[in-house]
Amino acid sequence: MIDIIYRIGHFVLITVFSMALGLLFMGIARKIVARIQKRYGPPVYQPYLDVLKLFGKDAITHGFIFDFGAIMALGGVIATLFFIPLGSWQLYSMEGTVILVIYLLAIASLGMAMGTVGSGNPQASVGISRALMQMLGYELPYLVILFALIYRYQTSSVWGLMQAQAGSFLNWNLFAYPLMAAVAFVVLIGMMGKKPFDSMIAPSEIGSGPVVESGGKYLGMLLLQKSITIIIELALFVNLFLGGAENILIFTFKMLIVWVLATMFGSLFPRFRIEDGIKFFWKWPLGIAILQALYIII
Amino acid sequence: MNNNFVKGSWQEILDWAQNKSINMLHYCTGCGAIELPPTMTSRYDMSRFGIGPAATPRQADLLLVTGYLSTKTLRRLIYTYEQMQAPKFVVGFGSCTINGGMYWDSYNTIKQLDKYLPVEMYIAGCMPRPEAILDGLLKLKKMIANGEADGYKRYEENLDFYHQNQEAILGEVQRTQ
Amino acid sequence: MRNEKDLLQLINAHFDPLKLEIKRKQNISVEFKKEGLIQALSFLKSHSYRHLSTISCVDWLDEGEFELVYHLFSYDDLINISLKTRIKRDPGIFQTAKEIWPVAEFYERDIHDFFGVKFKGNDNLEELILENWQEIPPMRKDFDTRKFVNDKYEWRDYNGQKHTD
Repeated sequence: MIDIIYRIGHFVLITVFSMALGLLFMGIARKIVARIQKRYGPPVYQPYLDVLKLFGKDAITHGFIFDFGAIMALGGVIATLFFIPLGSWQLYSMEGTVILVIYLLAIASLGMAMGTVGSGNPQASVGISRALMQMLGYELPYLVILFALIYRYQTSSVWGLMQAQAGSFLNWNLFAYPLMAAVAFVVLIGMMGKKPFDSMIAPSEIGSGPVVESGGKYLGMLLLQKSITIIIELALFVNLFLGGAENILIFTFKMLIVWVLATMFGSLFPRFRIEDGIKFFWKWPLGIAILQALYIII
Repeated sequence: MNNNFVKGSWQEILDWAQNKSINMLHYCTGCGAIELPPTMTSRYDMSRFGIGPAATPRQADLLLVTGYLSTKTLRRLIYTYEQMQAPKFVVGFGSCTINGGMYWDSYNTIKQLDKYLPVEMYIAGCMPRPEAILDGLLKLKKMIANGEADGYKRYEENLDFYHQNQEAILGEVQRTQ
Repeated sequence: MRNEKDLLQLINAHFDPLKLEIKRKQNISVEFKKEGLIQALSFLKSHSYRHLSTISCVDWLDEGEFELVYHLFSYDDLINISLKTRIKRDPGIFQTAKEIWPVAEFYERDIHDFFGVKFKGNDNLEELILENWQEIPPMRKDFDTRKFVNDKYEWRDYNGQKHTD
């Protein structure tokens, strides 16, 4: 009995910690982009105030499917969180968690898709179809990288891949297979929806894409989902290529460095059209990933 | 008494959060909208006060009516205002919303915005400079934090007055829900 | 590359215009009788005047006539030419130029909206810029703007002092 309460407490702690850290990272990104554009930006704690304000507004619902879509998106993302080790906190370390994580990340997008079906706005359908097409684009190089790593280390759990890089820091996959790390970095920018791959939330073209009909608490829930998604993707990158960490503080520090680099990289470019984005992912990143995979296997 | 106290202080917390983060729908009705890009970009940065742009009426709190309103635009603006969700604020920009401004004797523009939508405050000028806009928006933030910005409640209480004025100008207006 | 004078001689040779005028460099205007205008338009189009800039209308209330002006431009000669004609105000009907330039449909719709001129052959004469307009077309000179505004709209009340005109 105590064991169950301890487990549930662990779940809640991880979820709340990820939400808080994700919102803080979003604030840091806004501040960095503002400083690059030579102006002061909003304060670093601004997303907390945004979420608080959004939960205080009224909202209009479009039926049961719309509500359920928002809940499914948030729930899917929280479920994904439990399979990734954060520092030394890890809940499940069985084999096959890498593939499970990639599969569960898709549930978040499907949840948003269900929400847009419920709302019935054509601009939302255009936005979500672009998001799903982009997922098709970046999944392919990412899967090539993952299978190469699984073959190399003969384990398919995230905890196992992290442990295999123990020892000195020259053991990190970043230095062992640098081309693959570069490809994974580009895929990370595509996953997070930063420029140049952000045509799914284009504000002036399609009125911010899938969230066009959400206001009030639905938008608040989608902001929280976005913050946890950021933590998941960064944690995956740090575990696979930067060797994880023993305690949570060093892990957060590593995630912060990757996040700052990704933000600075993503604030420079204009926006790709969706066909150009998919073609880009299937040309150079896929080619380099396949070359590196062949080098590992042979 | 206990219930009212809890409700009152919860409302204060929400008002404080509302004034720290405002989403602005930039509906550029007239020529006054040309002063908005300098206010939003690097020189007179508006996002350091927490005011950021929103893309759709469902996500917006603040409706800036910049400049003159022809009757054709007024109909669309009323549809937009009724799609926004409470709490919502309207700010009139420039002298055309106050008394007709430069187009006072035109057959197609309205002369007072106050009779068709509940306005919190006006910013005078033709067009007001970005410093004036920031001054007005800071005063609006103080009004929101004090709980004085209740235009949406006024709209709901005096619905007949506003609907009568709107239909006198526009003819028939479609209402949903 | 024609000169302004060459162009005027060309028009004079083929048609029977009422008045020819060179306003300034690269800008001439020719006035026609209303029967010959459409032929002049297609003639000029086949002589490199392919661009119809706009169609505008002037209301001469005292003489009881509308004046329609067609502005053309040529990329070879680089000359703006305005073709004018007058029609009677009372029926206010003219032939459409839609077969020569398809875009003329929108200019004629605009003139119908604001002046009330009907165009034979153009069956898409809905409202373009005004909406639900029930009075006489507003750009006519016998439309009293001041009286209309005073009847329809209310002025703002500044401490009991109302706006007077």
